[in-house]
Amino acid sequence: MLIELGQVEVGYHGQAILPPIDLRLAEGAFVGIVGPNGSGKTTIVRTMLGLLPPVRGQVRYPRGERPRIGYVPQREQTDSTWPLTGLEIVLMGRYHRIGVGRRPRPADHKAAGAALAKVGIDDLAHTPFHAMSGGQRQRTLMARALAGEPELLVLDEPTTGMDLVAERAMLDLIADFPQQKIAVLMVSHQLAAVANYVHDLILVDRDRFQVQVGPIEEVLTNERLSKLYNAPVAVADVHGHRSVFIDRPPRGGTPARGLSALNREGAGERAPEREGKGKA
Amino acid sequence: MESVSFWSSYLLWRDAVVVAVLAGVLCAYLGVFIVLKRMVFVSAALSSISSVGVAVAFLLASVFGVAPHDPPLLLSPRLYALGFAALGAIIFSFNLGHRRISGESAIGLGYIIASALVIVVLNSPRVAQEAHEINDLLYGNAVAQSTAMVWWTAATFVVVLMAHALFRKEFVFVSFDLEMARTLGYRTRLWNIGLFLTFAIAVSVTTQAIGALPVFAFMVVPPAAALLMASRLWSVFALATGIAVFAAAFGYYLSFVWSLPTGATMVVVAAATMIPGLVRLALLRRK
Repeated sequence: MLIELGQVEVGYHGQAILPPIDLRLAEGAFVGIVGPNGSGKTTIVRTMLGLLPPVRGQVRYPRGERPRIGYVPQREQTDSTWPLTGLEIVLMGRYHRIGVGRRPRPADHKAAGAALAKVGIDDLAHTPFHAMSGGQRQRTLMARALAGEPELLVLDEPTTGMDLVAERAMLDLIADFPQQKIAVLMVSHQLAAVANYVHDLILVDRDRFQVQVGPIEEVLTNERLSKLYNAPVAVADVHGHRSVFIDRPPRGGTPARGLSALNREGAGERAPEREGKGKA
Repeated sequence: MESVSFWSSYLLWRDAVVVAVLAGVLCAYLGVFIVLKRMVFVSAALSSISSVGVAVAFLLASVFGVAPHDPPLLLSPRLYALGFAALGAIIFSFNLGHRRISGESAIGLGYIIASALVIVVLNSPRVAQEAHEINDLLYGNAVAQSTAMVWWTAATFVVVLMAHALFRKEFVFVSFDLEMARTLGYRTRLWNIGLFLTFAIAVSVTTQAIGALPVFAFMVVPPAAALLMASRLWSVFALATGIAVFAAAFGYYLSFVWSLPTGATMVVVAAATMIPGLVRLALLRRK
């Protein structure tokens, strides 16, 4: 077990914005935090990372020491005016291993190069960060997180602003990490993107002061999503992929496995024989 | 003819040029951090705050009946300037930004309040007669320097740049991505305080040496010019310090031969070095 949240309340200035959260993150876990914009997703992550103190409760490290964490912030948060190359930024992920007052060693350069190769941009090692595309910057930040050989990778909106192909490639890349025993905690407001990848889900609803935590099959239900988004939301299986729709699934879509019963109670309607207002 | 008289007066300007070059290089190097952190008014604010220290030292000397020309260490204006600047730097190193007032506005407030305090203290009848000496300490004198000032500036130059040579990696990391540094276990508050203290030491000493305007300019103009031209961090540092050497030395030369105000001429020369970068930027935008 890497991190345990015991009845942790998150918020600012002593004021909780969400109810107490219980969560245990083990090696190789793949957890998504999903909710509308401004719902408190990033606040949970910042509390887990130690960037914000919990209002109540405790963030515990069962092994007695903090796991190695690789954090990939939203790429808009990273200042592109600094004249740094991809390699220089990735090397920062190893600074805590290098030690204070010491220069990166050849082994650190090798590890940074390997991290760049892992995310498929080793050819951009000497490209200035500001000259990279949005997707390349995101991969650079991910390589920086990987360079520190993390046990837990925390990704805040890793696919924001990407086109469909780039988003798919990024999510496929992320999905590999839990198989390598790297736990992944991914924040996203794009529910449909997350739904096909994560094993567990945290649904966050600041307006209704609710947090739901559990395996995706239990949490991703029409009823819960409809309440969360305050709109009739349906989950359906389209060509083997879990898809989320506002109103109703399109023709040919079937309720996702294990969700049939909940689907009937959730949006409250059977899929009609017409094209729905799909939103992926 | 004029250049001959300049070179033959070597002993007259040697110390002043050495101090200007050392101060310029130091300010330009630190200015790269200041410009990239988007807090260019921090040097002006620290300069004003250190001036409050000088003013308070003179006021206290007057209260305790100590001659201001030869004060004991506890009432030394230089020590007070450094102490006040350090205090200001520690305050500025915290994230002062708020939803209602940005960090830059908070620094501006520090500048305004400190400047007003200096005027109030220095116009009190107790210290008015020391005006000339106070002015030299507050605003520097780039034309001529004492041997003591050469050593003060040189010592500051060595101490600050050695700290940066040792901790450059850490200072760059916490400046570029504070949150990532925190997630990796860095004590970012301490590193930030350390970085700002180097600003405070440099500003308080160089302001007394060459004046507030050249210090402010050296901390902004050469880094900005270098950022327009260079695309690697090491080359930005190298170019910014190179520009500072040129602006300090050539600015002094021009001021000497054309009888211009020294500090302001250095600033104008530094500003001229932005032209190639601006032309490059214009050409890139046309592509």
